Amino acid sequence: MNTLGIIFSYTERENLRELTKHRTLSSLPFAGKYRMIDVILSNYVNSDVTDVSIITKDNYHSLMDHVGAGKEWDLTRNKGGLRVLTPYSSPEMPVHAGMYRGDVEALSRNMHSIRRSMAEYVVLSGSGTLYSMDYRDVIEKHVADNADITAVYTRSMNGSKIVPPGVVIFDMDESGRIKDLKYNTNTTDEQDVAWGIGAVVIKKSLLESLVADAMSYQEYDFYEGIMKRLANNLNIRGYEYTGYVMEISSVTDYMKANMSLLDKEMADKFYAAPIYTKIKDSVPVQYCDGCSVKNSIVADGCKIEGTVENSIISRGVRIGKGAVIKNSIIMQNTEVMANVVLDHVILDKDVIVRENRQLVGHETYPVVVEKLSIV
Amino acid sequence: MGFTKNKEMIAMLLAGGQGSRMGVLTSRVAKPAVPFGGKWRIIDFPLSNCVNSGVDTIGVLTQYQPLELNSYIGNGQPWDLDRLYGGAFILPPYVRGKEGEWYKGTANAIYQNINFIEMYDPEYVLILSGDHIYKMNYNMMLEYHKEKGADCTIAVMPVPIEEASRFGVMNTEADMKIYEFEEKPPQPKSNLASMGIYIFTWSKLKEYLIKDEENVNSSNDFGHDVLPAMLNDGNKMYAYEYKGYWKDVGTVESLWEANMDILDATVPLNLNDPPWKVYSRNNNYPPQFIGEDAVLKNSSVTEGCSIHGTVENSIVFPGVKVGKGAVISNSVIMPDCVIEDGAVVEYAIVAANVKIGKDAHIGQNKKVLKADEHPEISVIGQDLTVAAGVIVPAGAVVSENITSEEKEEA
Repeated sequence: MNTLGIIFSYTERENLRELTKHRTLSSLPFAGKYRMIDVILSNYVNSDVTDVSIITKDNYHSLMDHVGAGKEWDLTRNKGGLRVLTPYSSPEMPVHAGMYRGDVEALSRNMHSIRRSMAEYVVLSGSGTLYSMDYRDVIEKHVADNADITAVYTRSMNGSKIVPPGVVIFDMDESGRIKDLKYNTNTTDEQDVAWGIGAVVIKKSLLESLVADAMSYQEYDFYEGIMKRLANNLNIRGYEYTGYVMEISSVTDYMKANMSLLDKEMADKFYAAPIYTKIKDSVPVQYCDGCSVKNSIVADGCKIEGTVENSIISRGVRIGKGAVIKNSIIMQNTEVMANVVLDHVILDKDVIVRENRQLVGHETYPVVVEKLSIV
Repeated sequence: MGFTKNKEMIAMLLAGGQGSRMGVLTSRVAKPAVPFGGKWRIIDFPLSNCVNSGVDTIGVLTQYQPLELNSYIGNGQPWDLDRLYGGAFILPPYVRGKEGEWYKGTANAIYQNINFIEMYDPEYVLILSGDHIYKMNYNMMLEYHKEKGADCTIAVMPVPIEEASRFGVMNTEADMKIYEFEEKPPQPKSNLASMGIYIFTWSKLKEYLIKDEENVNSSNDFGHDVLPAMLNDGNKMYAYEYKGYWKDVGTVESLWEANMDILDATVPLNLNDPPWKVYSRNNNYPPQFIGEDAVLKNSSVTEGCSIHGTVENSIVFPGVKVGKGAVISNSVIMPDCVIEDGAVVEYAIVAANVKIGKDAHIGQNKKVLKADEHPEISVIGQDLTVAAGVIVPAGAVVSENITSEEKEEA
């Protein structure tokens, strides 16, 4: 099926503190060697969607640096391939140009590029929710249902029935038609309901006219301004996804999602379909005499002399003699010197923690050390 | 031709050798495609040296078991060799007119590809082989070649004089001009061993390749025929002294040693060298997982591995699974092997995709060893299975599956 993928590289509802100060959500490092965008892009590539546009809003430099021309995702193509759509301004535009007031406006501003694609269908997706699915199955059901819009939803997340705040909850009839929706504001009240994971299938020609229509009504939100407003006129369907879901909109979510990969069952699900990422040609990990590593994920290019337990160590990290790291995430090229103690800490990229420092956070509130800091 | 550009120097990499001294390790792949160092293959070293030295056009001459090597090199992209002008080219023997012929020798292989070289109209040609581990800037060697106004420059390495008789030895004058070339001399006059790396001024080389081909008595080999012929005719041949790490990995023992060198901090082979990376084709593996019961000592482990046992003084390639209670020591475990619970692997090279069954023991040594002696290296060939409980003695070469009934004994 001739399909265009559109990814929103940001989400409005995240609060990841220092982690997204210098980067857009989708370029957040994940699972030791990946960025969140890798999981999202790999879904498209694994679904044979090879025409993909990424809509960015701000802080997108690290994302562009990571995806480059899309080579590692097999997205350097004569037809389609990868395109990063950045905000822009021009003299005719109002002052807020680029600062999209919602995803509908973001689509509208980038319609020049979307229109050019020869695709028949569009698969939209966000960045805050990670999952692994074959979009061809959704498109197939979309066609079979003769639907105008098909939104993917789930009823669970890692076994928990709690619905994350900020996601969209669908109200469906017995036939699976979405009659109404609302944004979730409370995590405790709503249980075991259908909530959207951000993937939406729509015919490209319909998307073009619905976006133009919504813009003329000054409706800038796709869910409320299009799906909710037109629920009675359009055939909007739900598609249930039953695989793993990682919803990442807070630092604790981020920590939990990373740590869940230490569980073999979860890791097997996560890696069931290939996840592509930028290749760094790092050397294998060097485990020195006197190191002790237990129940951890370690990426290439690291040199480990100390103790590491229940942690995620990204590419090119150095851990000195006598250092003890527990329940932590250490991002790329960070150096932890001798005799440092870390527990429930997230060290961003290129951080240096000097000898004998101790940082201790808590499961519910991990310590986050900003990129390029020296502790 | 509009799709080529003149190049000052192009490289020709001789990658057709069988590497028969490596036994089962090269029964299915050519020697340059043998895995090395935890994530590389031997050919990554000359290819990366070329790219890092600014040589971007490389003909790779293949002949023996080329399938894996060809698919490994592919379009050359991992080495940045997918270029608009130049790049990596696989050059197998081919048919001309009614007949074709295999590459008869190293010189003949280059002779058969004169047309390829002429396409780039180079001034110099660099001849490399795919069986050495080293990092070298060929551009510095080229500068030397030009400075000396040489017709041929041969890279040499000082070796201990007592070992010189194992190599091709260059006897030079004070200014490094070669006056004599001796292949494996019993009484070496010099300790400068040829590294098998040559830069030729192309017009000269072409002349001698054509002459060599006309000589029916020639074995069409650089070391035996072309270099001595050039020297006899009084051409200017210089030795270029290289002082870094260089190792010929043509035998099981030397391949094992070179791998162990990576773990030895005193050996000057630094692979974690960002401005001079050794590139390789990467498979899509997740980061490694180290389990609750793992013990790691002085080892190199890479992506896709999951380690639940003990790994000591060993090099573990991508995708290897080591079970609980398994012990791997002083060994090289190539990609995608499975070492089941309780198995012991010591002083061994285990080729790719091998399964070592539960409680099996590879490399059991019964010999009394001298102080600085290590047990003989055992080798397990590619894609084999060693059943649970089987004991493979030190120094054994396993080339067929071993089921539990036919336990191999020393």
